[in-house]
Amino acid sequence: MRIDIPRVAYTGTIKEITLGRNKNKITIGGESCYPFHLFEGTMPNPPKIAMEVYDSAPEDWPDSAMEPFADVVDDPVAWARKCIDVYGAEMIALQMASTDPNGKNIPADKAAAIAKKVSDEIEVPLIIWGCENVDKDTEVLRSICEICEGRDLIIGPVVEGNYRAIGATAIAYNHTVIASTPIDINLAKQLNILLGNLNVPDDKIIIDPSIGPIGYGLEYTYSVMERIRVAALTQEDERLQYPIILNLAKEVWKIKEVNVSETEAPLYGHKKSRGVLFEALTAQCMLMAGANILIMRHPEAIGLVKESIKDLMNS
Amino acid sequence: MVVCIAENINIMSKNIGPAIKERKQGPVQAMATALADNGVDCLDLNIGPARKGGEDLMDWLVKTVQEVIDLPLSLDTTNPGAVEAGLKAAKYGKPLINSVSLQPERLETGLSIAVRYKARIIGLLWGKDGMPRDANERAAMAVDFVYHANEAGIPTQEILIDPIVTPICGDVNQVLAALEFMGMIKEIMPEAKSIVGLSNVSNGVPNDLRPYLNRTYLMMLMKHGIYSAIVNGFDAELLKIARGERAKHIKLVHGVMEGEKPDPASLDQVELEYYKTTRVLMGEVLYSDSWLLA
Repeated sequence: MRIDIPRVAYTGTIKEITLGRNKNKITIGGESCYPFHLFEGTMPNPPKIAMEVYDSAPEDWPDSAMEPFADVVDDPVAWARKCIDVYGAEMIALQMASTDPNGKNIPADKAAAIAKKVSDEIEVPLIIWGCENVDKDTEVLRSICEICEGRDLIIGPVVEGNYRAIGATAIAYNHTVIASTPIDINLAKQLNILLGNLNVPDDKIIIDPSIGPIGYGLEYTYSVMERIRVAALTQEDERLQYPIILNLAKEVWKIKEVNVSETEAPLYGHKKSRGVLFEALTAQCMLMAGANILIMRHPEAIGLVKESIKDLMNS
Repeated sequence: MVVCIAENINIMSKNIGPAIKERKQGPVQAMATALADNGVDCLDLNIGPARKGGEDLMDWLVKTVQEVIDLPLSLDTTNPGAVEAGLKAAKYGKPLINSVSLQPERLETGLSIAVRYKARIIGLLWGKDGMPRDANERAAMAVDFVYHANEAGIPTQEILIDPIVTPICGDVNQVLAALEFMGMIKEIMPEAKSIVGLSNVSNGVPNDLRPYLNRTYLMMLMKHGIYSAIVNGFDAELLKIARGERAKHIKLVHGVMEGEKPDPASLDQVELEYYKTTRVLMGEVLYSDSWLLA
């Protein structure tokens, strides 16, 4: 007896987006099937990992996360170079944490100078991530867009409250924007429509659905991503046919289960492995839900996820 | 034709809430008169949970409203004492208890009050485990509710089943499940009546856009013969639809529900709005605040 394996009827594809410049361009998206359903369609561009770099030395990281970068945390350029030269990073995500008004609150011009320096010294595509304060990000990200003209940056998060200002500047200086919404598919679609109305080109938009790590709402992110892909690939929803990015490391490494000591919580097990595994497994779940870019921290977690991507692409 | 119950006299409302709390008759009576003039069939009086002083408040509200209008009233509170006070004071037509849910403690009290005052009741399909997940669970709960009500001595035709309408910005499958249930109830219990809290479908949507969803969803529910709806009594167009006055638009919406694909270029502005909104409510297009523009 012949058995017909059921197949999903796809009607759409995810837009293919090329990031970066010169010889180091990277293309993401382009899939015509659900994540790794290679028996039903194609994924011409495997998901990528961007390694994160901070604009100043982090103060709240556990030792295990700090250890690989201890010699470079005070210098964002050296840090980025180490990620590329030692750990083989294909992309860098510069987290502008010190611009936060509730923290160091460094001014926009100073922040822009840091971003410019990093962008001058590395050749791989560069993501710039603001401090997630709507007004401060508007100021900082606009300055960075201007000063880094011609660098084809990926900037975000662009939210409902600042999409006009940042979107317009990004168009003017030819950068890609990250459209960020709080784990809600209707709002994700709406922001993409608004960016489209502003004339941000279709190949310059990436979706950030927002993330909660394992134990902190991962399943919400997962199901929103799943629904985004269903709408994009089977319901001809053009405004959702964009690649997806997740800024996951900074969420994972601040949770209690990663930071509590072994003496306080002996049952939690080895502290360093715990952090690495929380990061790798969060990333792995996001791959299965359709992530195109993962912003990650620990080289060992990255190693595990890279291996998994390779396996999945060859299955 | 759909029986329309105005939702507007509500203690949670920014407009009229303060007047109710301060027992100011003027604004309440003005609103009641305006709603009656608009042609609604019944007024819902919502005083919220009203744990303290609910009896006095409902008594005052019913009497205040009845000084100026002679419509039947729907008594909307979870305080059983307040419901009773309202039933004692209500003197026009058959009052409606809004609502009795399937939660055991609520069910028993609610049904016994309805029997004592020979009132109509809204059977809210909210059970021990919360909201039903699909149309079938709604059907099972509706049968359960009617069974209990009959046992208590309430005839089926005095029961209005509310399958619970949820917002379009949430899970569209729930919006569709309430719709599907409307098609089922006629077959399962032809004598039972139906009701929805219509405006729930547009909860969370920008205010100026809510009428599009409310009106279209009402047309969709009308396809399955909905009996009554709790509505915004100031949406004159919606009341016209409820009276069956917009036959052309209703036909368009029902056609789209049956799978017709009209050429958008052949539609005028209003038809296009109904077409797009029906597609969203049918789950064919994912909701976003810009659904009319896209």
